[in-house]
Amino acid sequence: MAKVDLTFGKKLKKYGAIDFNACYNCGTCTAVCALSTEMDSFPREMIRLSVTGQSEDIKASLKPWLCYYCGECTTYCPQEAKPGELMMSLRRYLISRYDWTGLSSIFYQNLTAYIIAFLLVIIAVVGIFLSGTFSKESFMHLGHYFEMIAIGGVFLIILLPNLIRMWRFTLLSKNINANIKHYWIALKDLFTHMFTQKRTLACNDEKDNKVWWFEHFILVIGYLSLLFTTVFLNWFGTKSLVVISMGYLFSAIIFVVTFDFILRRVKKDSTKTTFSHFTDWFFVIWLFLMGLSAFTVRLFLDFNLLERYFWAYLIHITVLAQWALIIVPFGKWMHFLYRSFAMYFDKIAKLAKTGQH
Amino acid sequence: MKQRIGVYICHCGGNISDYVDVEKVREAVAQNDGVLIAKTTMFACADSNQKGMVQDIKENQLDGVVVASCSPKLHEITFKAVVERAGLNKYNYVHANIREQVSWPHSDNKAGATQKAIQIVKAAIAKVRLSEAIEPLEVDTTQAVLVIGAGVAGMKAAISLSKMGTKVYLIEREPFIGGRIAQWDVLCLTNETGKELVSRLYTEIVSNKNIALYTGAQLVDCKGSIGNFTAKVKLSPRYVKETCIDKEILKKAINACPVEVPDEFNFGITKRRAIYHNFPAEYPQTAVIDMNSCTRCGKCTEICDKIDLNMKEEFLELKVGSILVATGFDPYTPNEGEFGYNVIDNVITLSQFKRLLAFSEPGKLQWHDKPVKNVAYIYCVGSRQVDGNNKYCSRYCCTATINTALKSNDKFPELNHFHFTRGIRTYGKQEQLYHNASKSGHVFFQSYEDDPCRVEHKNNKTTVKINDILTNRKELEVEADIVVLVTGMVPRSNNNISDILKLPRGRDNFFNEIHMKLRPVETVIDGITIAGACQGPKNVVESINSALSAAIKTYSFVGKDKLMVKPEVAEVTPDLCKWCDECTKACPFDAIFKNEQGVAQVNETVCKGCGMCLPVCPTNAIQLKTFSDIEIASMIDVLANEL
Repeated sequence: MAKVDLTFGKKLKKYGAIDFNACYNCGTCTAVCALSTEMDSFPREMIRLSVTGQSEDIKASLKPWLCYYCGECTTYCPQEAKPGELMMSLRRYLISRYDWTGLSSIFYQNLTAYIIAFLLVIIAVVGIFLSGTFSKESFMHLGHYFEMIAIGGVFLIILLPNLIRMWRFTLLSKNINANIKHYWIALKDLFTHMFTQKRTLACNDEKDNKVWWFEHFILVIGYLSLLFTTVFLNWFGTKSLVVISMGYLFSAIIFVVTFDFILRRVKKDSTKTTFSHFTDWFFVIWLFLMGLSAFTVRLFLDFNLLERYFWAYLIHITVLAQWALIIVPFGKWMHFLYRSFAMYFDKIAKLAKTGQH
Repeated sequence: MKQRIGVYICHCGGNISDYVDVEKVREAVAQNDGVLIAKTTMFACADSNQKGMVQDIKENQLDGVVVASCSPKLHEITFKAVVERAGLNKYNYVHANIREQVSWPHSDNKAGATQKAIQIVKAAIAKVRLSEAIEPLEVDTTQAVLVIGAGVAGMKAAISLSKMGTKVYLIEREPFIGGRIAQWDVLCLTNETGKELVSRLYTEIVSNKNIALYTGAQLVDCKGSIGNFTAKVKLSPRYVKETCIDKEILKKAINACPVEVPDEFNFGITKRRAIYHNFPAEYPQTAVIDMNSCTRCGKCTEICDKIDLNMKEEFLELKVGSILVATGFDPYTPNEGEFGYNVIDNVITLSQFKRLLAFSEPGKLQWHDKPVKNVAYIYCVGSRQVDGNNKYCSRYCCTATINTALKSNDKFPELNHFHFTRGIRTYGKQEQLYHNASKSGHVFFQSYEDDPCRVEHKNNKTTVKINDILTNRKELEVEADIVVLVTGMVPRSNNNISDILKLPRGRDNFFNEIHMKLRPVETVIDGITIAGACQGPKNVVESINSALSAAIKTYSFVGKDKLMVKPEVAEVTPDLCKWCDECTKACPFDAIFKNEQGVAQVNETVCKGCGMCLPVCPTNAIQLKTFSDIEIASMIDVLANEL
């Protein structure tokens, strides 16, 4: 027995869903989807659960993560119900459901709250700098410490508990009889999907899907490498020419690729870039700003300009703080984690079901 | 006895001649008694052969013609026309079927097929030898039409007929015109209200001198046949003179009435007085007194001197050439307890819900003083029945429901709509409404007939549950403030028209047309046509389409002074008749009566030539023209002799 809940659909619209109510259950979306299988049939089923407001079923489902949004379903939907965008919205919704703090839910549904959070971070960073307690050099040291603390803190306080919640909702609640062996075997899938997003390649090649995948792939690698270079190799403090050039390369990759991603969203040249939630804009723009500002800071350092133009670092550290404290734990960045873990959990569930070893 | 007969045997390309030796057939019949010409032809129906036949008939003064070819259903009319063109009577033509009855079924036995073909052609020759020339019957027609029912179909048909110049008597049983659509609010797609439509049609009718409109008028008897019907109509009094149109006085008179009865205009969800009218500016614009509930207390007469409780019913005798029946439909009434109907307080029908929406003030919708927010619609109630008689789909209800639900939000924005369907059938342009409804957040569920949704009432809450096939048959439930049963169409109740006019009904109890596709508005009773929802479920558009088509058909019966009817009818030999009454009992069309001489006589305009009366006559006094005993016996003789 499950009650029909109309408020759920209204809520989902705040997460970016458009016109999914227009669905008349023909199933064209599921038929054209290259990733949908008999076992994992979507998107129609998810649309139906959304229309009837079965939020608990959605919470326990991994299917929204199995979709890589090629956009074919939206292209072929005879009712223009935009199933692809619904799947995207469900992923946003799931991020907020997994988040124990509830902040994701507020940020996704409320642009004002989101902007206020960004402003608060600016005030905090600028305030600390202007308080005069720190010299420019020690401020940069502090920035470096902040990076390390933020990574550890966000991981321990937000990411880990949220992943455990996700595991509880999607695996534990369904009484899936998985043993430790299944968890071990499936680990391969976790890492493959985390670093390659190779399922995208199985998508129907709408427009330049493969080009998009490649850009996304080097962006992920570039991003993770830059993270490593700045945090663990202390890019801004190092004298090593190798490390310095690596940092240049990685930050350049980030702002060049994200610039292209911003352009795609502006041009709306494919289904997946046509509909942008405000969090999507923040995500690409802030990633772009981060790459560009990091690049600029290192450039100013190398030309001894940073002392005179210290605002460059100030901008960089503000963007970085906003990124690390808002976008990463409570927004689109979590796709990176949840998607790969969804593939991992899905594999475990399948292994447990078929009893394979 | 015809002595100059022409026989044509067709190859039909090879359809016949591949299996039947047509030359052998020709030789076998050429010497037959009375045969003057016997020919074979590649295609008898070909233009060249038709011309050749005309020439043969004229040059040789042929007095009978046989063509042996395909089924008479295909080309009998063709060859009858050929002989008529040559100046011969078409009843001197006999058709022999040697394709469907010979070459096709006996393709495995050529010798046998040829033999059978010979016999069939010989039998046809035997019949044509005895054939008599007969002429179509001519009937004088009364140039007037009776239209029964002043709903949208009847009114439109009446207007159409009057414009063609025919006198029209439009009778309506109810005291007000408009039929069902007067009860409906905004109609789909055109967005006019039913009332607007009725008033437009009414204005046209009253400004038209050719139409005589009677309300409270009921057909009680009908005699005669095509061209000349005499209809007896009972006129119930209104008890309120038509000059009484002062709205204030009328209002006071109505309020003075102490009697309250369920208001059938609102399908019983409100009450009305014994003196009433349904809505302001209803047509006719004055009130009426319902004598079944009136106590004759006289309170209204004290207020209005134009009320007269002593008016008497009158009878009219109308002479018309044709009758157009447009008696409409009733919404299906659910059985006690069907989806909680009459058991759970907030389960009502779509018709009732439409009225509720129409008379409720904008703002918050209420049902029995409780606010309504969630509306659940259960579709196909009384239609597409698995066990019941109503196997049909009522066509209009999916669209009507979705249209009603969509429009209700203009007046009551807070309403949520949940549709429990068995598959939505908003065919044609109406599909857009379904799209709009889905898009604006209506939720549609679906189940099959073997697993219908359930209405439950517990703890003062009404819920509708369904194993939704669109959601993996998950059991979903909706808490509904009102449950609307989407009821289909059934024929009008207490409609004795079919008994009076002898109109046949189908298994679904609606009036039957002769042929669904080819003769969709005619009935087996010549001169009587049907239009609108009395024939089967129809929406307004379809009703009007059928009304206009029935009007044209009806006009074809009365458009001229005289009418030709088929002469292949039964004929009584008076000397042989002993009047035993068996034939009148056997006749399905009431075509035989006892005449002044005390013997049976056939009303030739009513007789269909079915032959039911022939075998029951103990003295063999009845013969069917063109199928007389001697003609049939001569054919049997030929066929039997050859064996």
